[in-house]
Amino acid sequence: MDYYRPVPGTQVEDLETPCLLVDLDAVEHNFRVVADTYRDTECKMRQHTKNIKSPRLAKMQIEAGGTVGGVCTAKLSEAEVMVEGGVTDILIPNQVVHKDKIARMCALARRADMKVCVDNMQNVKDLSDIADAYGVKIGVLIEVDTQMGRAGVRSNEQGVAIAKLAESLPGVDFKGVMSHQSLMEYKGEEDRYEVGRQTIQICLDVKNAIEAEGISVEMVSSGETFTIDVAATIPGVTEVEGGTYALGGTTYDYMKDYRMANKVMGTVISTPRSGVAIGDVGLFALSGLGADSVEGHSDITVAEMLDHQIVLKSDGEMPLKVGDKFKLIPDYQDMMINRWDQYIGIRDGAVEQVWDIPGRGCTQ
Amino acid sequence: MERPIFKPIGTAEEALDTPALVVDFSGLNQNIETMHSFFRSRPVGLRPHVSGHGSPAIAHMQIAAGGTVGGIMTATLGQAEVFSATGFDDIFLANLVTAPSKIARLCSLARRVNMTIAADSVPNVTDLGEASVEAGVILNVVVEINTRRDSTGVAPGRPALELANAIAGEEGLHFAGLMTYEGSLRSEGEELVSESKKWIQQVLDTREKVEKSGLDVEILSVGGTHNYEIAGDMDGVTEVAAGSYALMDEGYRTYRPQFVNAARIMSCVTSMPEAGNVVTDAGRKAIGGDTGNPGIPTVPGGEVRGLSAEHGGIDIDPSIDHGLSLGDRVWFVPNSIEGCVNLHDYMHVIRNGKLDAIWELPARGRYR
Repeated sequence: MDYYRPVPGTQVEDLETPCLLVDLDAVEHNFRVVADTYRDTECKMRQHTKNIKSPRLAKMQIEAGGTVGGVCTAKLSEAEVMVEGGVTDILIPNQVVHKDKIARMCALARRADMKVCVDNMQNVKDLSDIADAYGVKIGVLIEVDTQMGRAGVRSNEQGVAIAKLAESLPGVDFKGVMSHQSLMEYKGEEDRYEVGRQTIQICLDVKNAIEAEGISVEMVSSGETFTIDVAATIPGVTEVEGGTYALGGTTYDYMKDYRMANKVMGTVISTPRSGVAIGDVGLFALSGLGADSVEGHSDITVAEMLDHQIVLKSDGEMPLKVGDKFKLIPDYQDMMINRWDQYIGIRDGAVEQVWDIPGRGCTQ
Repeated sequence: MERPIFKPIGTAEEALDTPALVVDFSGLNQNIETMHSFFRSRPVGLRPHVSGHGSPAIAHMQIAAGGTVGGIMTATLGQAEVFSATGFDDIFLANLVTAPSKIARLCSLARRVNMTIAADSVPNVTDLGEASVEAGVILNVVVEINTRRDSTGVAPGRPALELANAIAGEEGLHFAGLMTYEGSLRSEGEELVSESKKWIQQVLDTREKVEKSGLDVEILSVGGTHNYEIAGDMDGVTEVAAGSYALMDEGYRTYRPQFVNAARIMSCVTSMPEAGNVVTDAGRKAIGGDTGNPGIPTVPGGEVRGLSAEHGGIDIDPSIDHGLSLGDRVWFVPNSIEGCVNLHDYMHVIRNGKLDAIWELPARGRYR
């Protein structure tokens, strides 16, 4: 656990490094873009907190608008952090199957509206039994595999069977369907829209099949940062599970309306050879980096990442000297956030506020 | 911060909350005995690198096992601070400290701890010297030599000698010796021997030059888990820095069969959507995945398909009856133990299948 809380007003260049910065103008801008995008649409944002791990940031988006008023959490322990932080409408777009964990989720359901995704009949029965014993209701959505080959039902028939079961049992409330896509390789606007529509349609097909059986489907939770704009235009999708949009990563550089809000700042500690600078931040603090990761220095490339150092290279003279600070933009953004204990919120080149990241490490 | 549900000592391992970092106590002991017994009978000492486990409890076991130089190695100043607070008084920070505020922290540590630090440039040595005089402490400084990795460090030979002289010329500094980290070599047999010797010899040659100039080389630090037995038998090497051996990982498994995989991530099967497709609740955030896939030794015929952030996917030959059900436990061996412990706040120590202790990892996240 790290405890770095620089006093407000500290200039950015005076901060100890490495440190995780969040540009407050940029994150507020991103939250406003979501509020504007979803203001008049039926579809709303349900922010995924695996990318922020902070109820403070989640509430900023809810206050800015455009949301369903709740969030997604990847795991139950992350949900507990959000509920403690005052966010009480939770969807876990994942399975909770172990009976100890189901019981914990039911306990949480006394203070929060808890919803979870299912892809298995036995899991639905277990949820029902335990929730009923607790005297609570757990909302269930059927996870539909559209592309990932991970969890989720593989056919309309499977979806219908689980929906019928959920409708028939106490303790669970059948809510709808959910899917998650990963469209990293579809960078072109046209491709991304087309594949986004095709994959989300697989989820909508399950919804239609369930409705054809006379069961109403209240929620279609699909889309993520990849389809943040696509999903909102597809009739029937009620919410989008965007995560990375809030703080940004180089994988999403096509999202021109959004700004990169999170950066890790490092300091050059050695320039041992010509064209080389070594920084004091490595793989442990970042996870991987993509191209153009050094902010404002397209002339510098990341040659290697060691556990606690980064090797930067430039073709010509290395512009960075020992003691110079540099900022890195993450690639796998949620992996990076999960390694830090504090956000250092900056505005106009100085520290404004420091926020803890209480969801860091909550993978249970 | 990780929030594992409290379970009493004696709880069956399978009843712990998942994902959990679990450490087999007898495997850990066995690894420590294997490594430390090698050094107990030799003049060269082991310096446990704490990045390989992050645990003061394990570091204390390592020092108590003998065969060491009596101190530990850390990768960051923040780690050094945490381990100094947990009772270690001989710490070698195998990194450069250049920022004035960090040099001040280093000098403060040196009041309580025998502190050794690496350097690779004259301006840095000058800064360290001025700060230590002002603080009234002596810092032990070793010259970091760049051999294989092409990161920090001066070239072997004359540049290293010049830096050694610069250190010796500073009033607040004590020239302590030379180090290189040749990087974790993934080769075997004769190739490992020749490669290790090639890089280490460059430091030994530099040692000769430095000693001829009249300076004592008390510390010559090289090697790691990958080549400790080679480095430990080379004349002139005084200490070998190794960390991964205590808990081991998948990356070293085939190269270092004398050590057992004592650390695992216990996960829970959360979905079995198709025959042969098993999804668990441990992904890259729990196991780490920056360096490659983990191993999955407890699932016969199983192969890790890949890790996403929150899930671990396993493919099992559909013709094999794996017998797994939803809620069952599956154990992963992390690809890099350093990367894995960097994600956890606790390790669950298991003895005979039951929870024996919960050890905190207080230096997690101390990148500064």
